[in-house]
Amino acid sequence: MMAGTGGSMGPIDPRLQEALDDERDPGELPADQQEAYGRLMHAARLLARKPALSVADRVMAEIRAMPQQLHRMSPWHRARRWLTQPRAVTLRLQPAWTLGLVAAGLAAILVLPLDRADELAPGVAQGVAHFVGSFPGARSVEVVGSFNNWSRGVLHLRDDNNDGIWHAAAVLPTGQHEYMFVVDGERWVSDPLAGRYVDDGFGVGRQNSVLIVRPASTGVMEGPQ
Amino acid sequence: MRFAHALLLTCVTVAPLVAQDGNPRLLRVPEAARPAIDSLIAVAVAESLPTEPLVQKALEGSAKGVPPDRLVNGVRRGLIQLREARVIVSRAVPGQPAPEGHVAAVAAALARGLSPAIVERLISVAPTEPPAPALHATADLVVHGFDPDSAADLLVEAHHKGLRGDRLLDVAAAADHELQRAGGRTQADALAKVRAMLPNVPPPPPPSPAHPVTHHPQKGS
Repeated sequence: MMAGTGGSMGPIDPRLQEALDDERDPGELPADQQEAYGRLMHAARLLARKPALSVADRVMAEIRAMPQQLHRMSPWHRARRWLTQPRAVTLRLQPAWTLGLVAAGLAAILVLPLDRADELAPGVAQGVAHFVGSFPGARSVEVVGSFNNWSRGVLHLRDDNNDGIWHAAAVLPTGQHEYMFVVDGERWVSDPLAGRYVDDGFGVGRQNSVLIVRPASTGVMEGPQ
Repeated sequence: MRFAHALLLTCVTVAPLVAQDGNPRLLRVPEAARPAIDSLIAVAVAESLPTEPLVQKALEGSAKGVPPDRLVNGVRRGLIQLREARVIVSRAVPGQPAPEGHVAAVAAALARGLSPAIVERLISVAPTEPPAPALHATADLVVHGFDPDSAADLLVEAHHKGLRGDRLLDVAAAADHELQRAGGRTQADALAKVRAMLPNVPPPPPPSPAHPVTHHPQKGS
């Protein structure tokens, strides 16, 4: 064993070495070497102490301590236990994504397509609009109009039973709206049930369908009902 | 937190610039058409005309993939129609600034084919009420072959008998219903029948969620 005196390293005094090796009584050492002896023994005790358990050691100890009964549980019981046992969840949100989600939620509230019109809950100055079209063989049908700023991908019709009749219902602001169906993502089609049409003004003779949404309290929508 | 502050700062500083530069919704408009459309909207603002119909027309043309020159022409046509609408509203309601809602509704009625004279007459009957229902009701009747003046007469009478707002749409629906009754009724017969029942025209039945279609849908083109 080597020991330094002060800040520099040097050969250890033979008497101190003997005391450290239990070959000499430390009490026989001069005062300065007794102090060095004390420091060295303290350091040796610290080094000899058992280190604290690491995280991995603690986890493994917990697992080993788990009752054997748990290991014998069926997969179903283990799944149920996993689903029902409370556990800490850390949720880290990026503000950009959070704002995006809020915006998407607001958009969904503004134009909310649902399958069942009786589940729609229009508010003040809103009404329920039903869109129906017969497009046999179509892969997709959507409604694009002034109520959604002529945005694609907002209000899709559905044909759940594949009979070629596509449906959608949506809560819309009361008043007049213009719209068209977009079939298979590329074909713009007037609603044959609208009853009201207006030239779209772009010089190709295409006609927008006109929809008048009345307040939900009257239960009436003028147009494609 | 720092991000939130940066976002807030961006909103505070950039929003006025966006508003000054143009409607952010118009970023969807093809770049080739945007300067001309911005100019047309600026003209509408300068003339105190409603801009939303023009913004919607620009968005519509963009969504439909209309070439830029035709898109600009479509918006320009909309501006001209708004100007014409404002003249009609000002004549019908002299001495007052034309409300934007009136101007937009009249422009829509003109687009549906109503004559300026009919529109002016209908507005002057109820200058303080939203004109859209009466205008649409009259346009509905004209589309179904009713004489425009006779259709306007019926709507004016319905108003005099207390019908307001969307109930005026029910007048047109009732006349159309009478026309379709068996027995070969003429338009004049149908109008007379509805006039006799005023103001008690039936409201249309509420659409049933299970059967929202009132007649069989036609195959899409």
